[in-house]
Amino acid sequence: MNISAKKLATAVSASVALMAAGHATADIKIGIAGPMTGPVAQYGDMQFSGARMAIERINAAGGVMGEKLVAVEVDDVCDPKQAVTVANRLVNEGVQYVIGHLCSSSTQPASDIYEDEGILMITPASTSPEITERGYELVFRTIGLDSMQGPVAGNYIASQKPERVAVVHDKQQYGEGIATAVRDTLKDAGIEVAMFEGITAGDKDFSSLVTKIKQADVDFVYYGGYHPELGLILRQARQTDVTAKFMGPEGVGNKDINTIAGEAAEGLLVTLPPSFDEKAENQELVKAFKDKGEDPSGPFVLPSYTAVQLVAEGIKQADSTDPFDVAAALRANSFETPIGTVQYDKAGDLKSFEFVVYEWHSDGSKTPAQ
Amino acid sequence: MQDLLYFSQQLVNGLTIGSAYALIAIGYTMVYGIIGMINFAHGEIYMIGAYTALIAITGLATLGVAWLPVILLVALICAVIVSSSMGWAVERVAYRPVRGRHRLIPLISAIGMSIFLQNYVHLAQGSRNIGFPALIDGSFRFGAPESFQLSLSYMQITIFITTLICMTLLSLFISRSRIGRACRAVSQDLGMANLLGIDTNRIISATFVIGASLAAVAGLLLGMYYGSVDPLFGFIAGLKAFTAAVLGGIGSIPGAMLGGLILGVSESMTSGYLSGEYKDVVSFSLLILILLFKPTGLLGKPEVEKI
Repeated sequence: MNISAKKLATAVSASVALMAAGHATADIKIGIAGPMTGPVAQYGDMQFSGARMAIERINAAGGVMGEKLVAVEVDDVCDPKQAVTVANRLVNEGVQYVIGHLCSSSTQPASDIYEDEGILMITPASTSPEITERGYELVFRTIGLDSMQGPVAGNYIASQKPERVAVVHDKQQYGEGIATAVRDTLKDAGIEVAMFEGITAGDKDFSSLVTKIKQADVDFVYYGGYHPELGLILRQARQTDVTAKFMGPEGVGNKDINTIAGEAAEGLLVTLPPSFDEKAENQELVKAFKDKGEDPSGPFVLPSYTAVQLVAEGIKQADSTDPFDVAAALRANSFETPIGTVQYDKAGDLKSFEFVVYEWHSDGSKTPAQ
Repeated sequence: MQDLLYFSQQLVNGLTIGSAYALIAIGYTMVYGIIGMINFAHGEIYMIGAYTALIAITGLATLGVAWLPVILLVALICAVIVSSSMGWAVERVAYRPVRGRHRLIPLISAIGMSIFLQNYVHLAQGSRNIGFPALIDGSFRFGAPESFQLSLSYMQITIFITTLICMTLLSLFISRSRIGRACRAVSQDLGMANLLGIDTNRIISATFVIGASLAAVAGLLLGMYYGSVDPLFGFIAGLKAFTAAVLGGIGSIPGAMLGGLILGVSESMTSGYLSGEYKDVVSFSLLILILLFKPTGLLGKPEVEKI
């Protein structure tokens, strides 16, 4: 009994020593947290593909301060509860930098954990203003805010001079936030918002809503939310002859809306980050994606690439792997990235970020709206 | 006139969805009527029906079959076969071994089955929404073209008619056929029916198969009506159909039909006149009210204490 306890103690201390040794030469771990499964997994694909490419290229160029970047990928299914679980897992893995999360409602609770644990987080996709409103030191993003996107959408709708507009949202942090911003912009422009209504995310039957939109006799419908619901609303609306123009935020702008809505997706308006993949200076990078058989045109691919690049350059500028030093370096400097020149304000938001209105087509392509 | 048309449109919307709820609710109510358990995996059987139909439709499209009645018929048959064998297998694997134990055990087994089937489809088909082709397109219009028009789509008519046919066939089957008579006997007293020489295991299996077939029909219809399927497709529909079954009186087949229609109409009227946000609040409040004042449901028979 005594011997075996001793043996056990030796074994434990030996393995602790081994682990510690492993840690000393550890690479720089970068957590990538986003939905790999679930209804919005296609956005997760964009995020993972961008971040992986950045890690690959940075490592190929010699890594950061002589160390390699290693991805630790976790799936939050875009579910706030799951996001907290995977955030804790990243903490346990000893990750100091996280690229993610994707959905604002996941990023918000996860960022509490990262801030407490001293982990630097850069979200490539969450646009809810509340995320950076809490005075956190380690929270950044490589995308704009709903408070920037909402007015772009609202002003575009106002420029089309509709008589009446309906604003619908999915009652989630992202959807309702942006829908509220659009409604306020429209009201300021003196346009009547005839309907402002929530639906339940995951619902399938929108016949009553569509009937209501038809009855309200609006020329324009703005939807705040994601594509699975808008796809069905579009399809059910076209079947009942609703002729209003539809518009949504970047959460609806991906090819899956075409498989759901089919022909009804033609002419849908979407506010998206500008097509970074069409910029001349990014062509070499775009080719690298295409050589790998991946599509760099998704709205979150290059922001996600940029997030990894910022972590790497922040570490170099700060000459330290301490997340607080890196955060200070990110705020102090400006960086040349695939999404343009990046400069941060005190909150961790980009000083400038542009949203552009695109017209979506039934074959999944998009063109700048008139 | 305008308001009347709007009201009728919401009524049509509600009746359409309500009759589909009724089709699914039959599965809950028949199983409860016979073995007194709630088959929580039933919503998943419905979801699998919808997926099977979609796979069949896609398959036929790649084979180049374009004649609509053939496509629908084949999709329907495939969905019914796969779902009903699934319903049969679920009963054999998850419920029969625990039958007669404490009533919580089959309930937990059912919830486990539901989680298993959901995740199985997640793995096999992926978690994304898959679009369902709009095979039956077009509608009848009523009212002046310049104002609000009532539109009654062919798809809605198809749903009404199919439900009507299924319900009539089911009623005939239960009241006229030998198995139907045995079903009624088993639901009155399982032990006695067994003593009198009815193979109760077979009857219970038959109940699951009938319930699953109707759910498969609903899966095909609603898949086409809504326009997309995903692995969580069955969860909410199952919950609603279960509510419908309880509302009408669980164990009663006409009750399930009535419950489904009431639930569908109350949902569409709430979203039509109040707000879509209150849809589920109103339908579940309705359930609580009915349970408070008439615990057996609208058409349920009060349970007679057997001494």
